[in-house]
Amino acid sequence: MSAWSIAYKDLQILLKDRGSLFQLFMLPLVFILVVAGAFSGMDTNTADTRVPLSVVDLDGGQHAQALIEGIGQAGGVSVKLTNPSEGQAQLEAGEIQRLLTIPADFSSSVDQNISVILRLTNQNDADAQQTEAVKLVVEGAAQDLALEFQILASLQQMGEMMASSPPEFQRAFTVERIQQQARTQFEAAHMQPLVDVQQRVPLAGGEREQEPSFVQTSVPGFTVLFVFLAAQSTARSIHDEKKSGSFRRLLAAPISKASLLVGKTLPSFILALVQFGVIFFVGRVAFGWLGFPPISLGHDAIALILTAVVIAFCASTMGILIASLAHTEAQVGGVSTLLLWGLGIIGGSIIPTFILDRILGPLPRIAPHYWANRALDDLMLRNLPLPDILPELGFLLGFAALFIVIGLWRFDFE
Amino acid sequence: MPAVLEVEKLVKKYGDFEAVKGISFEVQEGEVFGLLGPNGAGKTQTISMLTGVIAPTAGTARIGGHDIHDEMSTVKKLNGLVPQDLALYPTLSARSNLEFFGRIYGLSGRELKERVADVLRIVALSERADQAVETFSGGMKRRANIAAGLLHQPRLLFLDEPTVGVDPQSRNHIFESVMRLNRERGMSIVYTSHYMEEVELLCNRVAIIDEGRIIAMDTIKNLIALLGGGIIHIGLEHVNETLVRQLSALPGVESAEITAPAVPPPPAGEGDLELAEREPVTAEPVIKLVAKNSQQAIVNVINFLNDENLTLTSLKILEPNLESVFLHLTGKKLRE
Repeated sequence: MSAWSIAYKDLQILLKDRGSLFQLFMLPLVFILVVAGAFSGMDTNTADTRVPLSVVDLDGGQHAQALIEGIGQAGGVSVKLTNPSEGQAQLEAGEIQRLLTIPADFSSSVDQNISVILRLTNQNDADAQQTEAVKLVVEGAAQDLALEFQILASLQQMGEMMASSPPEFQRAFTVERIQQQARTQFEAAHMQPLVDVQQRVPLAGGEREQEPSFVQTSVPGFTVLFVFLAAQSTARSIHDEKKSGSFRRLLAAPISKASLLVGKTLPSFILALVQFGVIFFVGRVAFGWLGFPPISLGHDAIALILTAVVIAFCASTMGILIASLAHTEAQVGGVSTLLLWGLGIIGGSIIPTFILDRILGPLPRIAPHYWANRALDDLMLRNLPLPDILPELGFLLGFAALFIVIGLWRFDFE
Repeated sequence: MPAVLEVEKLVKKYGDFEAVKGISFEVQEGEVFGLLGPNGAGKTQTISMLTGVIAPTAGTARIGGHDIHDEMSTVKKLNGLVPQDLALYPTLSARSNLEFFGRIYGLSGRELKERVADVLRIVALSERADQAVETFSGGMKRRANIAAGLLHQPRLLFLDEPTVGVDPQSRNHIFESVMRLNRERGMSIVYTSHYMEEVELLCNRVAIIDEGRIIAMDTIKNLIALLGGGIIHIGLEHVNETLVRQLSALPGVESAEITAPAVPPPPAGEGDLELAEREPVTAEPVIKLVAKNSQQAIVNVINFLNDENLTLTSLKILEPNLESVFLHLTGKKLRE
């Protein structure tokens, strides 16, 4: 009750502060629109950003062809056929980064169910993540091919066994009918897999048909950046209370210190949720009026709401952290700028996370913004469901716990 | 009369610095008790410990019989605190401020509205209740600040320098409010100030506090009686112990001692919060006389100096009041 009274009072104060309201609600929209407008031309860029892969097909058979098609259809990898000498020369000259060689006995080995080795050669300085992604795509296509062949082979064996059965059973289980049924099932399994493994591919070129607009990609980043900026209002509010002496009056009142801190944190949590609502509403509805395509909010509304709640919680606890580290008005400004803008930038709020991963390695992972951006990107850009973003939400809750512990440890109640 | 507040050897340390050095005192039910001392003497630190704002390093206190270590949540309900700072939210109206602080003390609904209206009447702000505090004059802000401490009808009210930066008219209004609260509602009050006039006007008893210690505590009458008929500082070109003994034996003189001269400090603005400084020592020695009767003492001292052909270089007479008591006890002035 006391915590809510404090939060209600702080919200009353905030509603009278037009500057803060502008910063919290209008500034993110202005940022998104300005940046999106400036870079809107990039949305029409049709350059192929898929990872190139040169393939030498020494086999030339039906299964090799199926493998090459499978790699191309997996997305993210652009296949270019070459011959052995040219491919090797290009690799040595550094003109290509990777060369996949399909051995001459590939089709026959598959037919005879004998293991066969595909050779993926890459430059020493080739991007490790891209190479790993290409390897996974090739492995996936090869496994599909092997799976299909193995199912067909086993069913054929079953059919042959059935052939020795009485005539009334043979009519019902011919080899052709069983194989047809298996193919249908295999295709159905591909269309609606029971376990859907999705590969993250650097440069995000995997789904070109559904490539998001620049507005779409900028919305999650700027939303996270400005939602975390709400933490600054918590820290400033605590500092103002201490400076004016009202904090002393609150300490003398019959309320616990925990209620006091919860009360000071609650407004930024509520504000952050309202920020999410406003930005997503404007992005979904009002962007159309301004000539921008409406943003996608993904396919899982519950996951989006849960993610917004977790991000808002993490952001509001950061306010306590800043208040515990900063003891003067100048320090509140300095620490806020350092933490909120600094972590926002390295956390992928301005430069997308997949680019930061390549530039900064694991460094962005130290920022809560990184996990918030990844969660929103997964939901809004990749349309992933809730289970796929649980690790990101776990990291955000971990950061929140860390901020609370440090905040309580360092907070100066006197 | 039972004691509403009993303080025992209260200590507050910050590292090696001891802000409050084991002070002890009692406040009786219905009493207005003054804590008089210069800024930095430890008054606010003492109040902060008694109201649960900061934890004591050592010692304890009981308020209404409840120990501040074991029953602080009960103690907080009995206490009212009016801090020295204007602990209000300037962009909110006086009413919104008071409603907030009332809710913090568990008031709600009709009771909250009635209490808010009551305290607004006490501090004469009913007509400005719905205006933002930032539009108030300094005196009105001070009164609103006091009102916020009265909402839950505390048994013991701590007023920490409530008149700093206030115009004379508002100051008088605050005095009237304090006296009415004590007289009509029987509220016990601990009043801290470095203005001796306020303490003399409002308080039944006074503790004079300096550098974290209580150096004297009694009724105002008894404290002033320490000075007898007043203090006289006389400056001479040469002094010695024989001369001091001769002066102390004169009719009307209680005692005499060689001391530093009392030089008036430069004028300070109203609400100046700087620490009182030690009086600078000049080259000319000064003898401090405590008089039984200041007029008789002065006549006899001047006659004696004429008889002895001694040249008087300065003469200062301090009326017997709390200011001169403080100066007498500490060698410092309670600076305004």
